[in-house]
Amino acid sequence: MSEPLRIKIKNQFTPVHLISHIVLLGVGLVLLYPLIFMVLAGFFSKTEFTSTVLGVFPIPKAPTLANYKALVMGSIDTAVTVYFRNSIIRTAYNTFWALITSFLAGYVFARLKFKGKETLFLIMLATQMIPTTLAIIPTYLEYARFPFAGGNRIFTGGTGILNTWWIYLIGGPAINIMGTFLVKQSLEKVPIELDEAARMDGAGTFRLIFQILFPLQLPIMAFIAITTALGTWNDFITPFFYTSSDSLQTLPAAITKLSSVGASPGAVINYPLIITLSLGVTLPALLIFFFFQKYIVQGLASTGIKG
Amino acid sequence: MDKTAQILGKSSFKRVMRRHRDAVIAAVILTPMLLFWLILSGVPTIFGFFLGFFNWVGLNDTPDFIWFDNFIRFFKDPVYTGALWRSIWLGGLVTAVTLISGFGAAILMNMPLIGKGFYRSLWYIPAVTSTVATTQVFNILLDTNNGVINNFLKSIGKEPIIWQYSAGWGIFWIVVYSAWKGVGGAALIWLAGLQSVDQTLYEAADIDGAGRWAKLKFVTMPGLKPIATYIVITSLIGAIQIYEQVLFITNGGPYGQTEVLVFRIYRDGFWDFNLGMAGASSLIMAVIVIVATVFYYKWSTGSDKRMTIPNKPIKRGR
Repeated sequence: MSEPLRIKIKNQFTPVHLISHIVLLGVGLVLLYPLIFMVLAGFFSKTEFTSTVLGVFPIPKAPTLANYKALVMGSIDTAVTVYFRNSIIRTAYNTFWALITSFLAGYVFARLKFKGKETLFLIMLATQMIPTTLAIIPTYLEYARFPFAGGNRIFTGGTGILNTWWIYLIGGPAINIMGTFLVKQSLEKVPIELDEAARMDGAGTFRLIFQILFPLQLPIMAFIAITTALGTWNDFITPFFYTSSDSLQTLPAAITKLSSVGASPGAVINYPLIITLSLGVTLPALLIFFFFQKYIVQGLASTGIKG
Repeated sequence: MDKTAQILGKSSFKRVMRRHRDAVIAAVILTPMLLFWLILSGVPTIFGFFLGFFNWVGLNDTPDFIWFDNFIRFFKDPVYTGALWRSIWLGGLVTAVTLISGFGAAILMNMPLIGKGFYRSLWYIPAVTSTVATTQVFNILLDTNNGVINNFLKSIGKEPIIWQYSAGWGIFWIVVYSAWKGVGGAALIWLAGLQSVDQTLYEAADIDGAGRWAKLKFVTMPGLKPIATYIVITSLIGAIQIYEQVLFITNGGPYGQTEVLVFRIYRDGFWDFNLGMAGASSLIMAVIVIVATVFYYKWSTGSDKRMTIPNKPIKRGR
């Protein structure tokens, strides 16, 4: 593949290459269309959006920055700032814990020897097969009947931890099984002699983990951080199902409540506001993606193929 | 006496520590994580399976143990068998469309093109967006009165279509949305597979005078077999659980004709408060997914030693 650049450029103009370029770019731009639409629609004022006949590329006659300003600085008719704050706190919290639990548990399963290790790991992997959506209703019941919380006398009587910050916090320290699997796989490629050498030099377990092994796992840790961050950032299930008060909503949950799913039947859907909030969810996710895309590509490939 | 006991106690503690050092460290690290995991997923999942054996309508109702009645109803009631069947064929359709288009893209991305990396990122962008946000754009495009597509149809002199009245169009847009979101990821995994095919085989094929098509058929396809099984099964397992796009694009309508099983579970649980049926459906869905995974695992470890697990996005904090 180390042909000179001149030949490589010349090769781009053979019919097959040209067609590939056209297809990849053309279809790629079509894939981008919904996002382009979103950005354009963001320049409409509320009244103009409903009164304009929307074309394929809607351009407002009187473009306004009000929606974008509302995103950055907050606005009167929505608690955008609160949603943003909640989204950011949740994302940071879950990402922080995902890194810690994946790395420590990955270390345990890759390096330590104890009885029942393989069995425990297999059970953990097996639970990954059970569809997470199916736990929504039982989770609701569990949170509602959480012992001694939210006015509960043991199990009943109150609302448990529903509609409190606890529903966001409680999941954090739970083991991240996918992450554990990835770290384990990656640590097993690091020769054990490295650990032994470090111990000979007098490093304790703590130091060995954080000063020697952790820096070697940075790419896979970056992948875990990005997927957790994007997953939490885009997640609407937790806030939508287990909270109701406005001060606990995140951006995706706020959109859900405004959309046809959450609005009362027959209500007119406020699309300009939905678009504004959608931009608020989408643009930061795109930023994260652009900065760390290298790790996503690497990580995705390594989840599928070993070695 | 006192002193000896102290020394003895201390040294025996030390001895235990030395002999079971690994186990102690593992326990200290894993126990809290597993406890929190139990609260987050373990207890609700097991609880959910038991729900299926109860008649429990409404949160304040007292649950009745009714053995297998919910499961019997599941297989007799066309609402549930219909939803299950729809999950399976819709999942198959989504998988087929996503993987075939992804494969085409991967073949093109695997050529020595300038700007490969750019194309890879461009195609992957939909995957990082939020389902809630992007389905709303689809809804604006599909609006009956002022939707972009209907406006376009009117402008070229065609009748506008009321998408929401037709189950066929509903399914069509669910498939389009799912493929839109999934094609980039599929292309990336296919691409990793294409790059793992032994390059010397292509050189050998060149010497034998094989054309582009012959190389695809006799070198690429057989070399891709392991990754193909992986991606087909994991995509299928993911696609039969599709429900978010159903919720936001058609909301099960018209008249429940686009209801898939996971959507039905959501509906039973949160609209009809029929917790027993939701639990029974969950258990059936879980059994299907587990059987498919085990089947795949046996198959893939039988043919080669690749270690793969269901490709599930890392989603936390439920």
